[in-house]
Amino acid sequence: MKRTLAIASLVVLTASTAALAQSGPKPEQLIKWRQSVFQVLAWNGQRIKANVEGTTFNREDVVKAANSTAAIANSGIGALFAPGTETGKGWHDTAAKAELFAADSKVGTLAANFSQEATELARIAASGDQASVKAQFGKLNQTCKACHDEYKAKD
Amino acid sequence: MSATPASQRIWDLPTRLFHWLLVVALLASFVSGEVGGAWIDWHLRSGLLVVALIGFRLAWGIVGSATARFAQFLRGPAAIRAHWRGQWRGVGHSPIGGIAVVVLMLAVIAQLLTGLYTNDDISFDAPLSVLVDKNTSDALRLWHGRLFYLLAVLTALHVVAIVYYLRVKRDDLITPMLTGRKRLDPERSAALPQPLTTPRYVAALLLSLLAAVVITWIASGGLLNPAPASAPMIESTTPKPAW
Ligand code: HEC
Ligand code: HEM
Ligand code: HEM
Repeated sequence: MKRTLAIASLVVLTASTAALAQSGPKPEQLIKWRQSVFQVLAWNGQRIKANVEGTTFNREDVVKAANSTAAIANSGIGALFAPGTETGKGWHDTAAKAELFAADSKVGTLAANFSQEATELARIAASGDQASVKAQFGKLNQTCKACHDEYKAKD
Repeated sequence: MSATPASQRIWDLPTRLFHWLLVVALLASFVSGEVGGAWIDWHLRSGLLVVALIGFRLAWGIVGSATARFAQFLRGPAAIRAHWRGQWRGVGHSPIGGIAVVVLMLAVIAQLLTGLYTNDDISFDAPLSVLVDKNTSDALRLWHGRLFYLLAVLTALHVVAIVYYLRVKRDDLITPMLTGRKRLDPERSAALPQPLTTPRYVAALLLSLLAAVVITWIASGGLLNPAPASAPMIESTTPKPAW
């Protein structure tokens, strides 16, 4: 009897661990990650902004920030919006709107625009002058805004 | 015998300029705010123009020409009741119109106050946002958006009221706001206050312009910037980390 119970519990334990492993990171973790990713994007933006608005233009800083943004943009952020993360709490309650997860969501297109402008910014940062970096930085920010208007709740 | 009403100056140039520049600056703010992103810097500029205009008008409402003064058109309940019964015989804003003016201005001020402390969660932090924590600044963005609807509704009512006066009451308020002049019957002509003497006018104008500059400077964070001499930039004293 005792042995049957022990085996049974072992089986249940193994099965549930396997199930957990299959389902990947917890929704809470995914939401935390995506919120963190966006915070890093904001950090990069701040660094670029300081250089395109000030009198000094430190290319090294700009290149670092632009490369980081481009890398993040092309890192598959979509995976952080997996099913099951429509609602929930990461660092705070998610601000993603339900429409982002809907079948007719345009989030893929918006994310692609974002990746495109981020990649372009990294290219220009390497060689362009302050004015062209500034112009491209504006274009990039417009893609952030476009997605926030559609899919990020205002509060 | 009824004399042809004589055309008289009821709105001075500063008041009229204030009004139409305000319309333009608010339209620019609306468009640049909605577009956001790369346009957010223009949104700040148009918003600061609104700050300057409101700052000017508040001062002009105290020291400016008589018809522009708050004390002239903000009247007690008795005057409001008389106006309601159609017995108002003044010039300038009517007692009820005067309330509408103040309500509109307050709505614009609320828009400015929320805007100045917010951020766009992309790369823009409004000049006074350092004074509040991030959560408050974020919440103010929500309110900035909500209050805009209020402002839009009040503005629509404002225009509807003016069209009502034009079509139903046959009283054209728009031309005077453009040209400054209105034909007044003798009774109202008598109620028209004396214009300011030139020296007083110039002094009032300078004072109001100064108020506009000071308020705009404060709204741009002027009081927050420590003097460069007393507080050296952190970068210049601390070496950059190697990583
Ligand atoms: C494809 C859509 C999309 C794009 C593109 C996008 N964002 Fe976001 N952003 C979101 C969503 C959705 C959230 C809410 C995430 C959550 O709370 O779960 C968000 C949240 C944020 C936040 C708040 C993070 C937090 O702590 O909750 C910041 C800051 C941010 N984004 C900045 C940016 C910047 C800067 C860019 C462009 C460089 C950008 N975003 C591009 C969709 C997008
Ligand atoms: C200096 C003053 C102002 C500042 C600093 C300011 C700042 C801001 C910021 C940071 C945003 C958020 C943009 C985003 O979410 O990406 C915004 C949006 C907006 N602002 Fe202002 N603003 C100011 C004045 C005004 C005025 C006077 C108006 C009135 C017309 C206005 C109308 C709007 C509108 C309509 C939006 C879009 C709201 C939304 O998308 O929900 N702002 N503003
Ligand atoms: C952005 C929208 C508008 C705002 C916020 C606004 C605001 C105001 C304010 C604050 C005043 C008082 C002026 C003062 O005493 O200095 C005023 C008066 C006036 N406005 Fe506007 N206005 C707007 C649009 C318009 C438009 C589009 C018209 C034209 C149809 C208009 C016509 C007038 C007129 C005729 C007056 C004088 C009213 C009177 O005689 O008492 N306004 N407006």
